[in-house]
Amino acid sequence: MSATDLLNLLIAALLLAGVYAVMSVGMTIIYGVMKIVNLAHAGFLMLGAYFVYELYTHLGIDPLLGVLLSFPVFFLIGMAVHRILVRRIPISDQPSLTSLLLLFGLWLVLQNLGYLVWGNSDRAILTPRTLDVLEIGPIGFPTVRLVVFGVALAALAGLEFVLHKTWFGRAVRALMQNNDAGRIVGVNVDRTARVAFGVGIAFAGVAGGLLAMLYSFSPDFGGPFLLRAFVIIVLGGLESFAGVAIGSLILALVETFGILALPANYQPAIAFSLLVVALVVLPGGVAGLWNRRRRLA
Amino acid sequence: MEQKAPSGMRRVRNRGVLGFALLLAILVVLPLFGLSPNAVRLLFVTFVWVTVSIAWNILGGFGGQVSFGFAVFYGLGAYAAALAVNRGLPTIVALLLSAGVAVLASLLIGLPTFRLRGPYFAIATIGVSESVRVLMTNVSMTGGASGYRILETGPFRQLDHFYISLALAVVALAASVEVRRSRFGLALIAIREDEDAASDLGVNPFRTKLLAHALAAALTGAAGGVYAQYAAFIHPQGVFAFSIGVAILLMPIIGGVGTIWGPVVGGVVYGLIHDELVASFPQLHLLIYGSLLILIVLFEPAGLYGLLDRWFRALAGARRIRAAVP
Amino acid sequence: MQPFLSLDRVSKDFAGLQALKEVSFELERGGIYGLIGPNGAGKTTLLGIIAGSLEPTSGAVIFEGRNLVGAKSFAAVRAGVIRTHQVPKPFRALSVLENVEVGVRFGRRGRSAGDGQDAAEILDWVGIAHLAHTPSAILSVGDQKRLELARALGARPILLLCDEICSGLSEAETACILNLLRKIEKSGTTILYVEHNLRAIMSVSHHVIVMNYGQKLAEGSPQMVQNDPAVIEAYIGGRASTDGRQPRSGFVAES
Repeated sequence: MSATDLLNLLIAALLLAGVYAVMSVGMTIIYGVMKIVNLAHAGFLMLGAYFVYELYTHLGIDPLLGVLLSFPVFFLIGMAVHRILVRRIPISDQPSLTSLLLLFGLWLVLQNLGYLVWGNSDRAILTPRTLDVLEIGPIGFPTVRLVVFGVALAALAGLEFVLHKTWFGRAVRALMQNNDAGRIVGVNVDRTARVAFGVGIAFAGVAGGLLAMLYSFSPDFGGPFLLRAFVIIVLGGLESFAGVAIGSLILALVETFGILALPANYQPAIAFSLLVVALVVLPGGVAGLWNRRRRLA
Repeated sequence: MEQKAPSGMRRVRNRGVLGFALLLAILVVLPLFGLSPNAVRLLFVTFVWVTVSIAWNILGGFGGQVSFGFAVFYGLGAYAAALAVNRGLPTIVALLLSAGVAVLASLLIGLPTFRLRGPYFAIATIGVSESVRVLMTNVSMTGGASGYRILETGPFRQLDHFYISLALAVVALAASVEVRRSRFGLALIAIREDEDAASDLGVNPFRTKLLAHALAAALTGAAGGVYAQYAAFIHPQGVFAFSIGVAILLMPIIGGVGTIWGPVVGGVVYGLIHDELVASFPQLHLLIYGSLLILIVLFEPAGLYGLLDRWFRALAGARRIRAAVP
Repeated sequence: MQPFLSLDRVSKDFAGLQALKEVSFELERGGIYGLIGPNGAGKTTLLGIIAGSLEPTSGAVIFEGRNLVGAKSFAAVRAGVIRTHQVPKPFRALSVLENVEVGVRFGRRGRSAGDGQDAAEILDWVGIAHLAHTPSAILSVGDQKRLELARALGARPILLLCDEICSGLSEAETACILNLLRKIEKSGTTILYVEHNLRAIMSVSHHVIVMNYGQKLAEGSPQMVQNDPAVIEAYIGGRASTDGRQPRSGFVAES
């Protein structure tokens, strides 16, 4: 394999990692603040994809603009879901099975709604940009992947800003560390939780739109990505945003280079197996290892 | 745990046993009065679902360990039986093999994953389930993605399969009742309620979970074996599908997780209506199951069985009041 | 003659926070030993380590000749070391009687029910027999604490570890529990009692160990310990000079 090929693969992995990161960050926020594993994340990824698709095919709105619009729309949807359903489950510092099952039920419902409205044929978003390739030297970057990566970075940067420079962000980080202490210090847990849930779903919607620009999709499109999101946040350490970045990179690299080693049929198993291995061998994720080393020094 | 239940309860329990024996007798005798092949098939499917529903409940309901991965045992059981029958082994041996293979798998899966708690365990089982499916889709000895066929060795005797599946369901129910009454069941419930406190009182959580998993897997594997012998053709997308694992989990939860009869109710409801639902409202079954799951989690954790129980109690109470006040 | 319980330089560090620093002491069989110290001294952590719920970073816990470190808490139970929890952890779906049954059936030599008292007898002994069939989830705090004791007793402890069994209780309830502890000790069980309520512990223990900042500060009879200036300083914090208050000869009673 030539150096150019290697470089191509590395860059492809990097671009993929960016999207994966946006896809996983939503789950991390929700899990970190409320210790809720949001299985419905897959459903919102799917809805995000169709949202951008519909705006493009019926209103001619550029998918990028569609993705931008999906943030506030899904934010509101997320808050509504929290108020109607999730709020009824008590938050604790321990992850609960009740919420897992509740959101799993929601995922089933969303999937079905997807089938009802859009049927089960694959859709794709094709714009002039889709097949365009930007050539820099010997390397060709598919334009759409660059664009998607750019948006992903922007979104993550925005999140970093919010987390460190705003009231909401500080409240989220406090709750992620310790729910009760946050309460004592005066954080309005319920309101923060609702907003955090909204933000989590908003990121899911945005990620869905971005993924739709890269892949074709159908109502059960969220599933494989959900599993990848799990792998990423478990690898990265369930509650760490830096961990999400690392996890995304690891998964993207393993998947991209995995194509060389494994026949195509076994591809889906990569993510699943990595997930199980990660859960069992690295319960704190990469971030956990890092923290342990840093604190003992 | 032998608790001195009030005598009224004992009377109710005895009546319950009697009622169940009656139901069983009816089911045994029913086909002899002439049931359409379709009705027999429906009942057969129901008995298989009831079996796996009860099995899942032993680990998930009594023990509180939610696994999305029971399709692994169902599928492995199916393939084990199919392979055995094709080599000329009798039905019972095939089913024992199904159970055995499933138990082995349950140990392999449980050893790494039972160190995880709650949702992490659940997610790990999703990963395992899908990995196995992909694996089985690519193993050529069992036909890979194109599936595996059981060779015909005589006429299809539908009633044989009916009685085998009924017998298995009864065995599962008996196992469930015995577990619930036993010291082992007490340990499971303690682990479900508070694993650390259970350990602090002498319960070995890891070993207990492994045992429950093995028992549940054995029953589920046997059910898969029973199904395979009926269907005569199995394929990975069918028996290892994630949707099977989901169905196995939905039945006891919707029926009433953690109880004896809840899984039975769930299995019966699913068995009887699932095919009809998919036929008549092909686009709605996920919606219905999802909504039921949400409603049950939020409002009636004891599921349909809990709902029925409350209604009957309310009716009985109303009747008693009316009797007391002429 | 080996000591009944011997802690040898037990240390515990939680990712950078050193909760215990080389704690060592020995207990003899029989009696009620008090373990006191200000908040954050590491008492509950130490108890958790002796019971097997936690693993120490280093050090040994030798009980009747066997090092318990490395075994989970159910192994400690088999050896006869049973604990109660600071915040009660009832098995909420089970009745009071069934809760105790768990202890009876899985505790030390738990298989034959003919050994020792059975669940109903223990409930009677502890004073909550009237609650036998009550769901444990709805008990008052005081009754939950008594259930913790009953459950632990069901497991037939040789060494009973009590973790702040009186916190949150009224004076009357506290006196009740203390009497219960005396009864338990008289029936042959050694007790190691962690408590924040100084008056309670002083009245019931024959030997007291004081901890502060993860280390053993002092040990001795209640009288000795109360008058130890280092101990007084740890509790009052040496603020006597700044606000003019003199430390009393007993302790400031904390409830």
